[in-house]
Amino acid sequence: MSPLTLFLLASLILLALGLIGLITRRTIVGLLISVELMLNGAGLSIVAAAKTSSITGLLDIHGQLAALFVMGLAAAEATLVLAMALVVQRRFGQTTTDSLTTIKGS
Amino acid sequence: MNDILNNIFHSLARLFADLEAWLAPFLPSQDLAAYLAFAFYVLLLLGGGLVAVLARNLVRATLGLIITFLGVAGMYLLLASPFLALMQLLIYVGAVCVLIFFAIMLTKNTSDGEEARCPRLSNLSLAGLAGLAPLVVIGPLIYQGTSSLVTRRPADTVANLGEGLLSIDLLSFELISIILLVAMAGAVYLAFRPHGGRAR
Repeated sequence: MSPLTLFLLASLILLALGLIGLITRRTIVGLLISVELMLNGAGLSIVAAAKTSSITGLLDIHGQLAALFVMGLAAAEATLVLAMALVVQRRFGQTTTDSLTTIKGS
Repeated sequence: MNDILNNIFHSLARLFADLEAWLAPFLPSQDLAAYLAFAFYVLLLLGGGLVAVLARNLVRATLGLIITFLGVAGMYLLLASPFLALMQLLIYVGAVCVLIFFAIMLTKNTSDGEEARCPRLSNLSLAGLAGLAPLVVIGPLIYQGTSSLVTRRPADTVANLGEGLLSIDLLSFELISIILLVAMAGAVYLAFRPHGGRAR
């Protein structure tokens, strides 16, 4: 197996684990953990594809920068989910996804 | 005093050089060492990921997530991008995990809370299906469709990355700064409670 195959299979494992977590977790924070797993897999696959291709120079760096942007997006997403979990906790008293039944709370 | 320290240092260095020369026939080659390191990182990634997904205590799940992040950082090192590995440690382990800990504590997710119950069997089987789907669909494609074009190449310097950030990726760079600003402002707007007022 070529190195690219190995790295892509590792990122595929991360994607599968994240999907399993998305379905079995009940609270918003648990979902956040699963989504972070999947985003890590995405970044790993991007860097692996960029570094094991025959392209060098700026286009190779392009791949690493794309992974950096994925990290930035993950950080922004984590901030927003933290704020949303706070609001949900105040309004519904719990953070299970089943409790989110109304848009405009009483 | 300085001479004595110098002497000790030099004799230590000679000792290590002798030791390395003696051990050289037994040490693995560079390729084998890379594969061994890869296997170790995959173990970290798998074990941490399983803990993160299956642990019934969210704090333990976050610790598993940290181990997974460490494994991915090691893979970035293997891919000759040490700056990304450093950023992985700084951003994910240093920032995102702390944010998740804050979220756990602020939402009163106790160890006997909602996540402590085992999920239903139907839920678990659906989750297994969802996890198998990408493995079955994308796995064979990866196995057949990737060719090995890998060449040994030196690690990129941070200066190269910065140059790329301001030339080829300029638009994404500006966009992500706006996204971070909007996310920060949105988080403050959502979580801010005026003095004595009710929550939004």
